[in-house]
Amino acid sequence: MTNIKLSKESVLGLIALAIFVGLSLFTPGFLSSGNINSMMFQLPEFGLIALGMMVVIITGGIDLSITYIAAFSGVGAALMMTNGFGIFPAIIVGIIFALACGAFNGVVVSKIGVPPILVTLGTMVLFEGVILAITNGNAISGFPDAYSLIGNGYYLGIVPFSLVIFFVFTIITGLLLNKSTWGRRVYMYGSNDLATLFSGVKNSKVLMKVYLYASLLAAVSAIIMTSRYNSVKVDLGSSYLLQSVAAAVLGGTNIHGGYGKVMGTIYAVLIFQFIRNGLNLMGVHSSLVDVVIGAILIAVLTLNFFSDKLSRQKAKAAS
Amino acid sequence: MKALLKQKEFSVLAIVIIICVILSFVSPVFLTVGNWMDILEGNTVIGILAIGMTLIIITSDIDVSVAALTTAVAVSIGFMFQYLPDSWFSVVLIFLIAPLIGMLLGAFNGILVSKIQIPAIVVTLGTLNIFSGLVLYFTNGNYINSTQFPQSFMAFSNIEILGIPILIYLFALVAVSTWFILKYTLIGRSVLAIGGNAQSSTRVGINFKKVKMFVFTYMGFLGGVAAIAQTSYTTAVDPNGLMGLELTVIAAVVLGGANIHGGRGSIPGTLLGVLLLAIMQNGMILARIDTFWQNVVTGAIIVIAVSYDEINHRRNQAKLANIDVKEAS
Repeated sequence: MTNIKLSKESVLGLIALAIFVGLSLFTPGFLSSGNINSMMFQLPEFGLIALGMMVVIITGGIDLSITYIAAFSGVGAALMMTNGFGIFPAIIVGIIFALACGAFNGVVVSKIGVPPILVTLGTMVLFEGVILAITNGNAISGFPDAYSLIGNGYYLGIVPFSLVIFFVFTIITGLLLNKSTWGRRVYMYGSNDLATLFSGVKNSKVLMKVYLYASLLAAVSAIIMTSRYNSVKVDLGSSYLLQSVAAAVLGGTNIHGGYGKVMGTIYAVLIFQFIRNGLNLMGVHSSLVDVVIGAILIAVLTLNFFSDKLSRQKAKAAS
Repeated sequence: MKALLKQKEFSVLAIVIIICVILSFVSPVFLTVGNWMDILEGNTVIGILAIGMTLIIITSDIDVSVAALTTAVAVSIGFMFQYLPDSWFSVVLIFLIAPLIGMLLGAFNGILVSKIQIPAIVVTLGTLNIFSGLVLYFTNGNYINSTQFPQSFMAFSNIEILGIPILIYLFALVAVSTWFILKYTLIGRSVLAIGGNAQSSTRVGINFKKVKMFVFTYMGFLGGVAAIAQTSYTTAVDPNGLMGLELTVIAAVVLGGANIHGGRGSIPGTLLGVLLLAIMQNGMILARIDTFWQNVVTGAIIVIAVSYDEINHRRNQAKLANIDVKEAS
């Protein structure tokens, strides 16, 4: 036995690396520049939503409305652009739309104290309805050419611009969670909200900012998505909803709150992306990919359970 | 406590009655027997699933795989129909096999939740992916048509007793027997006890794992029954037809007064919750409100209902705390 103890996240990183190496060895075309490129373009939108979901889950909550917040902000931005406003005001309006949704969730969760799963279940239906009422269920498309650069352009000719945005927000999220007072309080609230309250923290303020931050990430993801697809519809990114919960949990975030690392979520997002892409290249039916992802989620947690049990038994035997 | 519960269901009932009165003015069709039969029959599937979900939510868990589970059973029924002979025996056989398949799938959730101790939302999220993925793989997303169904099953779905469709009887049977289980059997009381306080109930000797296992398996069982209801109502199997229904089911249970913190919730309350969602939907169609606005209203009602419930709950807790202090001093 080695004495080097790897953290949960590093193990996950190694698994991601192993999957990457395995797929590049056994799947022809996985390492081709075209495929790597398409993966780099798909990663940011999902990654941002997963990060937002992770921050909410760290507080012991869940945000089921996050993808509809994204769609709502996409619709806001799209309406501005199709009505002749510039790209910049459109993005601002998109972000404001998302923040308004996040503030609504935040108020009901933090001030009234309703369990987040119920609030966001309701607002999910609500936002979906509002989007449907605005768009009549149709897609809005036809944005300026410059806008599509956000999702399709390159920075310095190699790295997708959206990946750079994702990278920046990953660092910001990591810094906020680990270095800022708010971030530390998020973890504190997640592990014991009562103790946090009694140690003089304004819980409602902390929670409010959590939902605002999650909706901000959703808005950024929405801007990337709308620019990449050049259109927006009510179901923009809705397939990412359950996947983002799965990614956060696979990344080691405790669903009851109190623990969760940015790197873990990023590794989980990478694993999902590699597997999805690799299986597609192998010609596996796309619905079986869902089965595999569900199975991995359950298998990893089952393994966790048994390894915990084993280490506990060892500790008992040692003492 | 009992008086409180009663009061709570009473407030849902009051809302239902108010909406009914308004709707009967808006549309003359609303208060007809035919319309009510349609409402009840059309919501049998949601109702049966909501009853199972009530038990799970009482134990402060959640199951987001119900719709996928029901679809999986419905698709298996569809496949079996191609080999079953056209006789009453087939209908009986379906009623035995479908709940059994549902129970197996539900037990799978149950084992992962109780034995492996993975949080229920994560487990059911995983199985949701697995079930619906497998369903789409095997059916390719295609309908299974009623032309492949045995005539006897079609005859079964058209049965009416005293002018009431058979599905409504099925719904009533499920509701009454679950109410009975919850109220008068040991396992039912254990479900409520665990929801009330998991730690004390295990100290009294209630087997926590067994109860968890029971609620998820029972959910699967009802999923199987709901699959039969769905197949006979639509006389087809649509692999995508129930997508997203789990959230409607949870919404109905929550509207009916069950609390995600556990311990609170009842079958009559859930039935009222289902009814509330159903008449709103029906009423908005009758009032010719654009279908796009229906989600807005439904979402708003869910948010208002859970907020109102929480505020009420807190006020009551505060009252309780006051009494404690007074007694102590």
